[in-house]
Amino acid sequence: MSVVSDRTADIWGERTPYAASGAWPSRVDQHLTVDPGAVEKWVHSACALCSNGCGLDVAVAEGRIVGVRGRADDRINHGRLGPKGLYGWAGGYTSDRLTQPLVRVDGRLQPTDWDTAMNQIVAASKKTLSSAGPLGMSFYTSGQLFAEAYYALAMIARAGIGTPHLDGNTRLCTSTAAWALIESFGADGDPGSYADIDHCDTLLHVGHNVAETQTVMWARMLDRLAGPDRPKLVVIDPRRTPAAREADVHLAIRNGTNVMVLNALLNEIIANGWIDREWIDAHTAGFDALQAVVAEHPAERAAEVCGVAVEDIRRAAEILSSAERLVSTVLQGVYQSHQATAAAVQVNNIHLVRGMIGKPGATVFQMNGQPTAENTRETGANGLLPVHLNWQNDEHVEILAKHWNVDALQIPHWSPPTHVMQILRYIEQGSISFLWVNGTNPAVSLPQLGRVRELLGRDELFLVVQDAFLTETAELADVVLPAAIWGEKTGVFTNADRTVHLAEQAVEPPGQARSDLEIFIDYARRMGLTDRDGQPLLKFATSEEAWDDYRRLSEGRLCDQSELSYAKLRESEGIQWPVTKEAPGGTERLYVDGRFHTASGECESYGHDLVTGATNEKDEYVAHDPDGRAIIKAAPYVEPNESPDEEYPLSLTTGRTAFHFHTRTKTGRASELVAAAPSMWVELSRDDAAALEVAEGDIVEVASRRGRVVAPARITHSRSGLVFAPFHYGYWDAAQTADPPTAANELTLTAWDPVSKQPLFKTAAVRVTRVGPGEGPAPAPENTASQRVGAP
Amino acid sequence: MSARVGGLVERLHAAEIDLADDFRTVGERHAADQDVFHLCHQLAEQCAARAERLRSIAERFGTPLHEPTDKPTIDWLLSSARRALSGLVAHRPETGLVLLRDLRQLYVAAEEIDFYWIMLGQAAQALRDAELLSAVDDMHKQLLTQVKWLKTRAKEAAPQALVAG
Repeated sequence: MSVVSDRTADIWGERTPYAASGAWPSRVDQHLTVDPGAVEKWVHSACALCSNGCGLDVAVAEGRIVGVRGRADDRINHGRLGPKGLYGWAGGYTSDRLTQPLVRVDGRLQPTDWDTAMNQIVAASKKTLSSAGPLGMSFYTSGQLFAEAYYALAMIARAGIGTPHLDGNTRLCTSTAAWALIESFGADGDPGSYADIDHCDTLLHVGHNVAETQTVMWARMLDRLAGPDRPKLVVIDPRRTPAAREADVHLAIRNGTNVMVLNALLNEIIANGWIDREWIDAHTAGFDALQAVVAEHPAERAAEVCGVAVEDIRRAAEILSSAERLVSTVLQGVYQSHQATAAAVQVNNIHLVRGMIGKPGATVFQMNGQPTAENTRETGANGLLPVHLNWQNDEHVEILAKHWNVDALQIPHWSPPTHVMQILRYIEQGSISFLWVNGTNPAVSLPQLGRVRELLGRDELFLVVQDAFLTETAELADVVLPAAIWGEKTGVFTNADRTVHLAEQAVEPPGQARSDLEIFIDYARRMGLTDRDGQPLLKFATSEEAWDDYRRLSEGRLCDQSELSYAKLRESEGIQWPVTKEAPGGTERLYVDGRFHTASGECESYGHDLVTGATNEKDEYVAHDPDGRAIIKAAPYVEPNESPDEEYPLSLTTGRTAFHFHTRTKTGRASELVAAAPSMWVELSRDDAAALEVAEGDIVEVASRRGRVVAPARITHSRSGLVFAPFHYGYWDAAQTADPPTAANELTLTAWDPVSKQPLFKTAAVRVTRVGPGEGPAPAPENTASQRVGAP
Repeated sequence: MSARVGGLVERLHAAEIDLADDFRTVGERHAADQDVFHLCHQLAEQCAARAERLRSIAERFGTPLHEPTDKPTIDWLLSSARRALSGLVAHRPETGLVLLRDLRQLYVAAEEIDFYWIMLGQAAQALRDAELLSAVDDMHKQLLTQVKWLKTRAKEAAPQALVAG
């Protein structure tokens, strides 16, 4: 047992090295705020502060959470917990928790009771429905609720209200992961298992700062890197991340050039014959087109466009080519960047041309960012239908209509569900006048904040915000509903390798706060939402009943969880879907027989053109039915929408630090995490800092065509021309001010990927000017990618 | 023989240049619809690149074609004006209907070009001109993807523009 002294100083904990295909040793991390003897009970749960989903027990004393302990036997973490998992739960206990509903009276939010708040929401809904119809209504949910709440919301929006305007903040997080998997393999769901890290001989990280975004996953990789049979490591990232420091080859490319470098790698791999032609012929379609497209991206051209050495591209290609068991991971450096889906798909293609998928140690992880993003996607609370049904396939829509007992026409399926940036555009046009936001903070997390604030603050828009705290978004609301958070409710969630956990309720929510599921059920009842027989649309009253309804719907789909009851989850240490009669213990890997989910009758989508996002129609897909073959899709490199120029000569990228999650709604209220990364900073490269005569800690202004931020500068080892800004810091706490502004998204541009519709946060042209001296080094961590040049 | 094919190439070339202009104009008019703005400019570049390839094809048929003449100042002024106007009317519900109208006009123009590409492909086959055939095949496919995108975007936009409110 390791009783952790300070996991913010020692982020990944002590090394427990192990050899290839060995068992990752357990190391139980625990953090208690009381004497161990004072703990009254331990409640089985899993961590919901990143997509790893580490199994843990919650310590309870006197009705409060007093600590956490990793579960030694959990398949994900083998006992470990990261800094957010160990300390983040305390964020729920600050005095500013919302404990009663608020309504706006004479321009100010005033406390009220649930009846008053809900009646106002119902009245506003009915007013919008009578004036604009279902297309006037919209919902924007989260990647941090539980599956049951998303599922209820999807039913309300799709079958009850009948609007396509329901999206999740997974749109900012893993929409590209979902689409990359769908475009290549026919369905969402990562094919591999975290155990593949144990078996691999080579690791590739593309735009994935794994050491900070999934600290426990990185601990597993570090233990392989420190053990015998050290895997080779290739990192593609413009910043010198902790993983980049460990890499055999680090390609510090210009941001926005992922497709170029990946096409060049594919070209090297193919041109040198390092491919599995037999496997390609048997299990894929589209190889010839890929070969032709990547041939236009020779290493020399890529070196120039990406700003890296041609030798490094060749060395990286050699490492990938000599791999026998390759694990690749992809995250926001791809998903939130230019040509997002096209780039993510090229990583899939590396695995497909090498025949490295569905085998131990050989897989690609299109990672998730948020803990329950997989569930937002699976339940249809973002741009997809529930259980990976295809909106273009009438037989699929009929399955859903039958299960919900509504007319298929009631469920919008004339085009894809509306993404959040388009919802905002309809608010701007005035055709949407009702928006219900829950468990997310768009007033800080969406691009171009000046515009977002203006739209959310409009008088014409009725804004409901459901959250645990008065966020920057809640400040703009007409009605605020106090929500229970993790530990205060029971529900299911699924991580990036399809591992499902049940998070049990450990304590009661504070004051009048209610679970998201309760709130949605209450809304459906008050709205009188019914099925085609006039019976209540939502036929469940508890989270377990909601889960049972959902898992029945999943039967026969790839994400089949029909045999995964609460009872089974309570006995498990994490179990991977599909969980069926044939596979009652779950399924470690998908596609082990080389047969993918692409047959026209079963696929989740007929796919898109990766450059334009043009949607394939059913007929053309059926005519060339891949029927189980993986689809190799090529895309040429295209220049970013906004490149640096004379006026704005640098390129901005945004991202996370290890110690915070999203807009710090919880982590910014946990003292250890606040101390580790208290307030905003921006990062400059050595060369740019020298040219701008900026010293470590100096105050700088970063300006784009859309806004500006002012913050202390950290000088780092990133590539020159790059400016990095963490996206966590909004305006709710005393550490920040709105004047001068500090939120990174003041700078970002309104643009999104043509396929996944994920907003682009990783390419914006900016200029930096020195404002004046600061007070010592910038308040940025030293043990992360933010490490300063010349740090002790 | 080749003079007639040359004539077809000339028509196609002019149509591609017009379509590039139309894409740019529509993109600027809908600058508040950021995906339309960015993609229309990208597609305009594709049209311009096809026109350029057509110029080298035309030379082989003895019908040299000229690059479109620049009207830089006027173009810049009009383009800025359209973008500014788009910002001013961004909040108006009718912009949805205007977008549908513009997508339809682009669609009609692109369909005409589709027809020209079909004709040129047939001629290439009859001429047993493998190089031309492969070039036509490439560019025709790219044009058809543009047509497909126009349909995709119009399908997405139509319900809100026609039914909401």
